[in-house]
Amino acid sequence: MVNLTINGKVVQAEEGEVLLSVIRREKIDVPALCHHEAVEAFGACRLCVVEITRQEWDGWCDYVTSCLYPASDGLIVNTHAAKVNDLRKTIVDLFLARHPKCPEIIELAAEYGVYSTTYQTVVDGDNCILCGLCTRICDRMGFHAISTVGRGHGKEVSPPLHKAPPDCTGCLACAQNCPTSFIEYSAAKGFLTIWDKKFELLKCSGCGKETITKVFAEHLCQERKIPFEYFQICDECHRKQLAATMGEITSWDREAAS
Amino acid sequence: MKNRFIVNPDLCTGCRTCELACSFTHAIEGLRGQTRIYPLDGGFKDLWIPVVCLQCDDAACVKSCLVDALRRNSETGAIDLNQEVCVKCMACVAACPFGCSVVDQQHKLVVKCDLCGGDPACAHFCPTKALKWNPIEPQTRKVAV
Repeated sequence: MVNLTINGKVVQAEEGEVLLSVIRREKIDVPALCHHEAVEAFGACRLCVVEITRQEWDGWCDYVTSCLYPASDGLIVNTHAAKVNDLRKTIVDLFLARHPKCPEIIELAAEYGVYSTTYQTVVDGDNCILCGLCTRICDRMGFHAISTVGRGHGKEVSPPLHKAPPDCTGCLACAQNCPTSFIEYSAAKGFLTIWDKKFELLKCSGCGKETITKVFAEHLCQERKIPFEYFQICDECHRKQLAATMGEITSWDREAAS
Repeated sequence: MKNRFIVNPDLCTGCRTCELACSFTHAIEGLRGQTRIYPLDGGFKDLWIPVVCLQCDDAACVKSCLVDALRRNSETGAIDLNQEVCVKCMACVAACPFGCSVVDQQHKLVVKCDLCGGDPACAHFCPTKALKWNPIEPQTRKVAV
């Protein structure tokens, strides 16, 4: 365990734990778009920038992304110093220039007092901030279906060769965790479409409610040895089934007691 | 594990106080959360079954989680869902054979019973003691060999 100071408060952290985890644990609000606890830090959005210094640095300080910087003994962290706020303001300003129509970015920029960008706006820009969270989560799930392709202006998130990805199972983890809700999918009439690939959705045999995709369920059955019958009924019908079974047992007890 | 969560459907009157207690206990920023306990009638007259997570030994939800967000808490004995790690793929919701991993539509989260971190609110509020949080007493009677 190491002792460090965050905004004047001495806190304990594990040696080598990243600063952002410690800051979040202390319930200090530091914005971050590309961070997720399930995957390794990437440092793409730069919004989690903090000011660090040490007693022996004689007033010198450094500005680092807290999602990548490890906690160490005697570190003094300031998450909302004036310079840090200025840096974040510049970052959201740049984000706003690149993604002027993105609601999440507009909201975040307004928090920092940026209502219109001071840079030249990208007119035909999309809402993808290229943080790579979707690709990292896809890798963590073990599918490796999407990745970033191209460089510079042409960089984008895409399945291989811009075709329907063969390894995608339609689990929707990429779309659910996209910080700007850019990844589109549609579910209609028992089919789910994501990354131009069409998946058959499993239907509850009791009420007809659509659950996860058949491919994803089959993957879980194969990888994690879960019986396929578990996926054929929705959660609500599962609960009703359990209540019916338990009710039958309780009614036997009642009959025996009377 | 010092306590045991006991559900006795015979005493349940279907008053749904547990549902309210659960929902208010798991409120986020003042908004009520999704209940983790469901008193259902199960198709029997005058019989209510509080359906709640059974915290299975070999749980399908833990097996189905590809990012290890579900882990057993050794202190409470419950299977805890780490919201920070969860990627909302809905695998556990679909896999649970008892339907006790549920989606909180309002907060866009997957939730399950965590025994309130070792002090279940539903057991406190149950007026008929159909839900109990009893200490596990050391076994006093000798078992015949």
